[in-house]
Amino acid sequence: MQTITESDPSGGSRGHRRVLGLVKVAAVLAAAALITAACGSSSPSATKKSSNKNASASTTTTTSAAASTTTSTTATTAKPATATVKAATATTTTAKPATPTNAAASTPGGSLSTGLTSTPSAALTGIGSSSIVPFYGKALYEYHAANSAVTVNYSGSGSGPGVTAIEQNTASFGQSETPMTAAQLAASKGPVLQVPVDLGGVSLSYHLSGVAGGLKLNGPVLAQIYLRQITTWNDPAIAALNPGVNLPNENIIPVFRTDTSGPGYDVDQYLIDTSTAWTSAIGTTSPSTTWPTAGRASGDTGEDLNAGVATYIQETEGAIGYVEYSYALQANFTNAAVANPAGAYVTPSVGTIANAGAQAASLSATNFNIINAAGAQAYPLANFSWALVYQKQASTNTGIVLGKLFQWIITTAQGYSSGLGYAPLPANAVAVAHQTLLGLETSSGSPIFTN
Amino acid sequence: MVHSVGIVTSGGPGAESEAGTRPAGSTSFERRGHVAALIAHRHRRPGGRVYTALRWGGVLIFVAVVVSLVVSLVWQAAPAFRHSGFSFIFSGTWDPDTEKFGAGVFIVDTLLTTGLGLLMAIPVGIATAVALSEFLPRRLAGPLSTAIDLLAAVPSIVVGLWALLILVPVFERDVEPFLQKIPLVRHLFTGEDLGTGILLASVVLAVMMLPTMVALTRVALRGVSVADREAALALGGTQWQVVRRAVIPGARSGIEAAITLAMGRALGEAIAVSLVIGGGVSLPHSLLDTGTTLGSAVVNFFSESSGIQRSAVIGLVVVLLAFTAVANIGGQLLIRPRRSRGYERAEPEEVAPTGEGAPA
Repeated sequence: MQTITESDPSGGSRGHRRVLGLVKVAAVLAAAALITAACGSSSPSATKKSSNKNASASTTTTTSAAASTTTSTTATTAKPATATVKAATATTTTAKPATPTNAAASTPGGSLSTGLTSTPSAALTGIGSSSIVPFYGKALYEYHAANSAVTVNYSGSGSGPGVTAIEQNTASFGQSETPMTAAQLAASKGPVLQVPVDLGGVSLSYHLSGVAGGLKLNGPVLAQIYLRQITTWNDPAIAALNPGVNLPNENIIPVFRTDTSGPGYDVDQYLIDTSTAWTSAIGTTSPSTTWPTAGRASGDTGEDLNAGVATYIQETEGAIGYVEYSYALQANFTNAAVANPAGAYVTPSVGTIANAGAQAASLSATNFNIINAAGAQAYPLANFSWALVYQKQASTNTGIVLGKLFQWIITTAQGYSSGLGYAPLPANAVAVAHQTLLGLETSSGSPIFTN
Repeated sequence: MVHSVGIVTSGGPGAESEAGTRPAGSTSFERRGHVAALIAHRHRRPGGRVYTALRWGGVLIFVAVVVSLVVSLVWQAAPAFRHSGFSFIFSGTWDPDTEKFGAGVFIVDTLLTTGLGLLMAIPVGIATAVALSEFLPRRLAGPLSTAIDLLAAVPSIVVGLWALLILVPVFERDVEPFLQKIPLVRHLFTGEDLGTGILLASVVLAVMMLPTMVALTRVALRGVSVADREAALALGGTQWQVVRRAVIPGARSGIEAAITLAMGRALGEAIAVSLVIGGGVSLPHSLLDTGTTLGSAVVNFFSESSGIQRSAVIGLVVVLLAFTAVANIGGQLLIRPRRSRGYERAEPEEVAPTGEGAPA
């Protein structure tokens, strides 16, 4: 009896509690709505909206169409919307300096035409390199804006997963900072086409108060820094390369990538090319995406990802490390001038990275190395990034969409690269990429595209 | 009160919902009859069967997932185990270029960071939980407990980035030079001040373990019956004596469970640790040396690995699983016998404080 009378009052107040609970839920929902509203107003899509308003005339139709792109509701409103986004990008790209966008389109890039009928609609997935994420992020967004029927999901989980995805055929395309090895190609389920799609660089960035950018470093000195044979910034070896620079008596903290990385591979290759102390310390002459044990000496420290290395350098006086140039540009880092084989000291920039790419006269998936390239103003730490697709496409429609997407990426989309810290593909690389894309075949082995 | 709780726990979710609908018209049940009727009622209704099926289905799916996970991991790691043999665990050389895979350094670093983290987290965690449940006024303890529960839900990448942005510069500039000046202690902290390293990784692990530990310990402390507290009070114990002699011993098994769970989290923590531990791959000589734990090695080496190297990275996961399993099972084995012993010992001590001659 007693237990029941005890439970009754709680049942009586249950009504109140339910009301209270509803109020709480409502409060949470309201807060969530507020937060999304606040985020929405500060997100890039919203700023794009406002820039659209400024760029194209102040007609009411434009703004409503632009608004519908962000929500992407119906197909009918999407059409005028894409037109306005295109207009907006045209204005933003012309605002940036030096975009040889359309020049590339008229060079060997040419166009891909196909007699096959298709519905140009597909959802593609790509997996691979994280160094290319800033470029793909921009390019794929614009491509979808212009071709709303094509959606591409790109996951920048690393070049290794990109290669694995192709080997196991789990993605429409893979992406790797180095082309696949013979063993990896043999492990795949058929011939793989490897398309160079962007040209990036690796900066050696440092944090040293009172020392401007452009501190000169060469391979032997850099190797000694990572091997902890040079431990202070005013070491005679560094001073000898930089006469007139007032170097502080500050400890050097060399930062490496703890995870496997394309930039680490490039720096490893550069040190192997230029320093015998390095090769004897690491005991091999083949570069590795895993930073060598010898370069992890006591006094070196490691960080995850480009962002981790960038953050550490930003926070720590005396630090030096390697990051994808795109990230160094965003973080506004001071970058070292690195010695190239011509004896010049070159800082990374879109121009000097392009100079390195121009040295790849006979570029191919087996002849891709442009580390320490010749050329007076070529930056010695640059590399092409490679898209990987199967030659025989199980779905002809997917093959057509893939071909057209990459044809656009190697030509028109190169206009976005310089603003993001990549160099536009040189003409011969565009030609190689175009020629490779012409190799795409249907499942029965007939070519999809003609020139 | 006790009666209705009994129904809920014995009957599970099915009975709970029925208990909710039941009382309205049936006030005159005799106690046992009520329970029996409810149980019988549950079995008559098809809903009971559905719930039973759901329960068993859930259990079976869970077991299937765990078994398939472990089997597939071991299967994929097998080539690396065959390749390296026992040196996979005992060798300290991890060199993918020459295909040498020894997890020794990672194991040492994992145990070191977790151990140090526990050393820091246990006293702070228990003290916080005791303060929250026994000393602070309700009005203050409530919001604080909620805040701590929220902390437990902070993703580890956020904790890691916070450590990288805020703690690394502070450690590099202030904490590490200070530690190096303390006599005797400084021998533990030789080497460069980098901010990153085993010390900071342990601190980060301690920070991540604290919310779990505090929340669970608090629950365990509150679970100690009022009668025990009142008994201790009646014997003239001060508030602190009540806590020390009655509450903490009574909650001992719960506290140990909290520590075990927190330790499990610390052993497997990957992202936050890899952001602050610095990625060294040699045996540490100092707590300021950089290192790599099993978890951070998986984060760092998995993405670009293929072939035998991938197999070896999955081997690290298997080793990690084994460690967590040993820690959990070991923890349970430690707790079980001690629970009864601890409780029995606590009672006589409880009686003792006023009269001399407590049994040893």
